[in-house]
Amino acid sequence: MTPSSRAEAQQRADEMRLFRSELDRLEREGVLKLSEDQRRAVADHQRGLLAAYAQAFDIDRDAQAKQLSLGMRVASFLGALALAASAFFLFYQFWGRFYTEAQAGILITAALGTLVATFAIQARDPTGYFTKLAAMVAFACFVLNIVMLGQIFNITPSDKALLPWAALALLLAYACDLRLLLAAGILCLIAFVSARTGTWSGMYWLHFGERPENFFPAAVGLFFVPQLLDHRKFHGFPAIYRVFGLLTFFLPMLILANWGRFSYLDFERNIVEGFYQVLGFASTAGIIWLGARRHWPEVVNTGLVFFVIFLYTKFYDWWWEIMPKYLFFFVVGLTAVLLLAIFKRLRAGALATGAKPK
Amino acid sequence: MKWSRAHTVAAGIGLIALTNTVALLGVLYNRSGEASAVLRLTQREVPMSWVSYDNRENSGISLRFDRRPYDREPDWFDKAKLEALGFDTSVSAFDTRSEERYDKQLPREVLLVLEQDGPAYRRELELAKENSEREEAKAASRPGDERLRENARRAREVLEKERNESSRLFVVDAGLDPAALRAKYPDAARYAIVRGQVRPARVYMSQKLYGVVEGLSVSEINVPFAMRGVVGTAPQDGDVERRNQLPFDATVAFGRRLEPWIVSAAKK
Repeated sequence: MTPSSRAEAQQRADEMRLFRSELDRLEREGVLKLSEDQRRAVADHQRGLLAAYAQAFDIDRDAQAKQLSLGMRVASFLGALALAASAFFLFYQFWGRFYTEAQAGILITAALGTLVATFAIQARDPTGYFTKLAAMVAFACFVLNIVMLGQIFNITPSDKALLPWAALALLLAYACDLRLLLAAGILCLIAFVSARTGTWSGMYWLHFGERPENFFPAAVGLFFVPQLLDHRKFHGFPAIYRVFGLLTFFLPMLILANWGRFSYLDFERNIVEGFYQVLGFASTAGIIWLGARRHWPEVVNTGLVFFVIFLYTKFYDWWWEIMPKYLFFFVVGLTAVLLLAIFKRLRAGALATGAKPK
Repeated sequence: MKWSRAHTVAAGIGLIALTNTVALLGVLYNRSGEASAVLRLTQREVPMSWVSYDNRENSGISLRFDRRPYDREPDWFDKAKLEALGFDTSVSAFDTRSEERYDKQLPREVLLVLEQDGPAYRRELELAKENSEREEAKAASRPGDERLRENARRAREVLEKERNESSRLFVVDAGLDPAALRAKYPDAARYAIVRGQVRPARVYMSQKLYGVVEGLSVSEINVPFAMRGVVGTAPQDGDVERRNQLPFDATVAFGRRLEPWIVSAAKK
């Protein structure tokens, strides 16, 4: 099967490297012995595949190349943010010295030009690092375009601007296989859906962050996006949707579990906080179970982190004032040991059932 | 049909073009036809926005609406007005849970009526004048009293500031129906209807529930390049003295979408 993305090709190359390593070990231990012809055939086949993948996707052929790639990913991420900021401040520095028509023309041209440049770079950049830089600049130019049009023409701020930003970020993310742009698009969508949810109660949209419950519909929607859309060609995208969905769900819940006055619920603060604490424990436990069952490690890990945060904030509320500090931290440590024991049992159970990832 | 890179580029260009078209058509619509109001303002009502240290590289210049009253709750913004604007005032504002009840009601966007140099300003001027006369009379009745003389001097300063420097732009009403507000305030050269945010507030001393204007949806107006020479350079953050150095007249129009723009500006 021909890989459709760099991630798939890289995975196949990694599996080949593991295969060669295991084959060497099996031969040394005398378990398996390939004939010289078989060995050559396998080596030739793999070499050919690796060469083809390297040409098409610029994959890392060995561990050293993979380490360097990690550095390049970090550099391209930081570079993308820095170049986006640079484009923003470049315009800010000079825009006041142009006539209105020129200001609008520069903004629109910059947004269109960087978009076209992104796809031109993508056609010549199998690694994707430079495409990521260009795509982030294109997205920043479009955001700047709309923000500055609003400022130049004194347009009333509107949450509707978040929709085209999300659309362009998602277009770039899917067209160029860029997780950074996917995250940017998801953040715009979260802000838009939450603002719309907030306005249902009559509030001015810019205040949507002051009622954490506004984020729940966006959270639920995001979590189920990978179930509704086929993401087989987009390695890592489903995990990003799910993690953002969970963060958008659990962070507001954590706030409400500690500061009930921010809730829509018209009850006493301690009742609201108690409700969200119970809901927090129940939903994190449920999410850990779901993640383990569906073999979504990112879901298990996110659920676990929030379960522990919910637990430790409750410990703090109950015992920080009344316990000696050594005892408090001892209890926290014991809880960690207990959690480790529980997860060890769960892991053993999963291994025993021989579950395989989907 | 297979989705190609060319399709993606076309989709991206279409998205950017469509978004800009919608935004610019909105601007054209706002500025088409007869303006909903045209106010003649000065540096008193629309001083230049201060530039913070972090924002010092911004080469753009804007004027900000200096709306009043900012030192007390407006008389017209009472419980009935809050109800009319959609706030729930059915529960007592001063029982044990009222703080949560009222704090939970976040600002709403409504229509505000801005009055330029009208009865609200004249009333403020009259109050400052009465206060000055009262303090002068007190000081005159006891010539040796240093404290009374100082009070009289301060009251004179307040009156002078009110007369020559303070903004004459007052928020005088709020509503949800622009036609009803325009019918109530028909003078488009004195009253502008704009969007802004309001919220309920409470005064514990007088056990009174009232409304507060949080801000205008468009609180600043961009100064086009051609008019930069009229208003001068932006003052640094907190530079109170410098902001009034260049007196100017600015004609500000409010369009069909109630969004403002500077029609003309001239040095005084």
